[in-house]
Amino acid sequence: MKKSEIIFSAVCIAFFGFMLFETFELLGQGRPGEVGSGLWPFMALAISTLLSILMLISNIRKYKAAGPGAQELTAEAIAAKRRARITVALSVVCFLTYIIVTPWIGFIIATLLYILVFALVLGERRRWVLAISPILMTAVIMGVFAKFITIPFPKGIGVFAEFSRLFY
Amino acid sequence: MLDHYLQAFATVLLPQNLLAMVLGSLWGLLAGALPGISTSMGVVLLLSFTYSLSPMTAFILLVGAYLGGITGGSITAILFGIPGEPSSVPTVIEGHALAKQGRATFALWVYLLCSIYGGLFSVVVMIVATPLIASFALKFGPAEYFALTVLGLSVVSGLSGGSMLKGFLSCFFGLFLATIGTDGITGEERYTFDTTILLGGINFVVAMVGLLAVSEILIEAEEPFKEYKGGVEYRGMLREFPPFSLFKSYLLTMIRSPIIGTIVGALPGAGATIAAFLSYGEAARTAKREPEKFGKGAVEGLMAAECANNASTGGSMTILLSLGIPGSNTTAMMIAAFMIHGMQPGPLLLSTRPDIVYGIFVSMLLTNLLLLGLTILAIRMFLELNRMPYSIFSAAIMILCVIGAYGLTNNMDDVYLMFGFSLIGYTMRKFDIPVAPCILALVLGDMAELSLRRALLISDGSPLILVGSPISIVLLSGALLSIVYPLFKKPKMLQGL
Repeated sequence: MKKSEIIFSAVCIAFFGFMLFETFELLGQGRPGEVGSGLWPFMALAISTLLSILMLISNIRKYKAAGPGAQELTAEAIAAKRRARITVALSVVCFLTYIIVTPWIGFIIATLLYILVFALVLGERRRWVLAISPILMTAVIMGVFAKFITIPFPKGIGVFAEFSRLFY
Repeated sequence: MLDHYLQAFATVLLPQNLLAMVLGSLWGLLAGALPGISTSMGVVLLLSFTYSLSPMTAFILLVGAYLGGITGGSITAILFGIPGEPSSVPTVIEGHALAKQGRATFALWVYLLCSIYGGLFSVVVMIVATPLIASFALKFGPAEYFALTVLGLSVVSGLSGGSMLKGFLSCFFGLFLATIGTDGITGEERYTFDTTILLGGINFVVAMVGLLAVSEILIEAEEPFKEYKGGVEYRGMLREFPPFSLFKSYLLTMIRSPIIGTIVGALPGAGATIAAFLSYGEAARTAKREPEKFGKGAVEGLMAAECANNASTGGSMTILLSLGIPGSNTTAMMIAAFMIHGMQPGPLLLSTRPDIVYGIFVSMLLTNLLLLGLTILAIRMFLELNRMPYSIFSAAIMILCVIGAYGLTNNMDDVYLMFGFSLIGYTMRKFDIPVAPCILALVLGDMAELSLRRALLISDGSPLILVGSPISIVLLSGALLSIVYPLFKKPKMLQGL
């Protein structure tokens, strides 16, 4: 049992508790004789808070039973875990950047760059894969979704919009 | 009724629909065969393709992906010992053991023929049972509908994996998410925090894509270069065709397994995995011929598991089409497809859109037959695709997720919401909180709340209306049983799945 699970349980209690507090404003809303807007979310949140408290108690018990030294890892395992965390963090940053810049630079360029960078983040180093795959995949995606299904993807602004208009 | 079937055959056999059937089945086979992509994820990713398709073509595509996914999960299970789907775990035990003995092609034939047989059996049951159940369900009022959604939500017990507590937490979180946005009855804003992005509520396709697909890729990103080890040599399907007498000699298993699969598939939350395990367990328990072979390449075990997991598809679709509640994770995604095309699965669907219901019957029948040929052709291709760089493959899935969210309303706000859900999904998975109950609750939450409020409105606030009819009592008792039973008795082999 890890400390992080205890922290997670506490975060759940805080989240559901806060939302439950917000629900009090909704209780009683509605016309006379009608069940208001707050009853259902109140029930869902009250039970969620209760379950989070039970999860916290269960996690604390397991943590105490296992002892604080029970989760000691080898140096190799710690390094592997750190590598995994960095990869996931970079994947998230890469994805977030992709969806933020898409309306500015357009779907084509953003997708092309995203495939390239995401492959690099996941450890792809073969040059031919990095050179061919982004172009090929972007072309297929544009062909299917922009041309065939005609989804109006963001074109970007300024010069990027001009570039996008060449394709869709 | 014959007219409906003739019309359905004519529609399904249109060139664009046949193409959708082939492409959906191929995609499903691929999604099922590749570890890291589940059948439900395959169906979710296909949703974005269906926006501009006609409803019938869309459902043919999705049905293909569903049946293909359940069938494809066993390809890598037999050849590499890696289950593409949890329902293929018994196939790993027996099928891969056979493959390691140099009988890979024989195992693939047995798996394929049993899968198709199980699938066809359940489709026939579905065709007979759906109209009967639907006509009965037309008697339902708000209280019965509330009981029905509670029964649907009791699926949580089957989807919770190791911890019921975490499963229920996920479920109630989903119910909360379903309340976000403008209240459909009072017009009151709930939990929008004065933002416009949440005003219309959370679209469950957006949530599904984030919680299920993107979070899965993030989990896989922790270990991006997994390789298949211990793969057996595959020499093509032209040899070792099993004789008919083999299936005849296991007649009891061939009769019992699809029945188990169809019934278990129809139980809310049970799905293909439990069907495969129960049928496999039953075959192991009652085996008279070579019981010592179980675990070391028992043909009977492989037959039992494969007949049952494919038979579960018809069972799940029966209760989806007749009652509007999902029997499995993937059929929960199908509800989203119905809603995207402006339909509500349930008893009224048969009278309002018989073309769709009969079209689904016919497409399931034809897809099962198509899969027999398609799987043989596709095995070699998928073995090559398994060698495709995972980095590129996962980038493609991420982009499909973006398109899936964006294509709903052509609005980047949905993409940002999807990103938020992907982080929530990743966190949930890291702390072993199953995401499936959350998605299910998000899908059924609105219907549950509205039914409850309408019922209470009719009864002037008296909650006794909820247990005022025998149907409600039976449905609520079923839900209670489905929640309580696993607390006391869960087969050891199912734990953690």
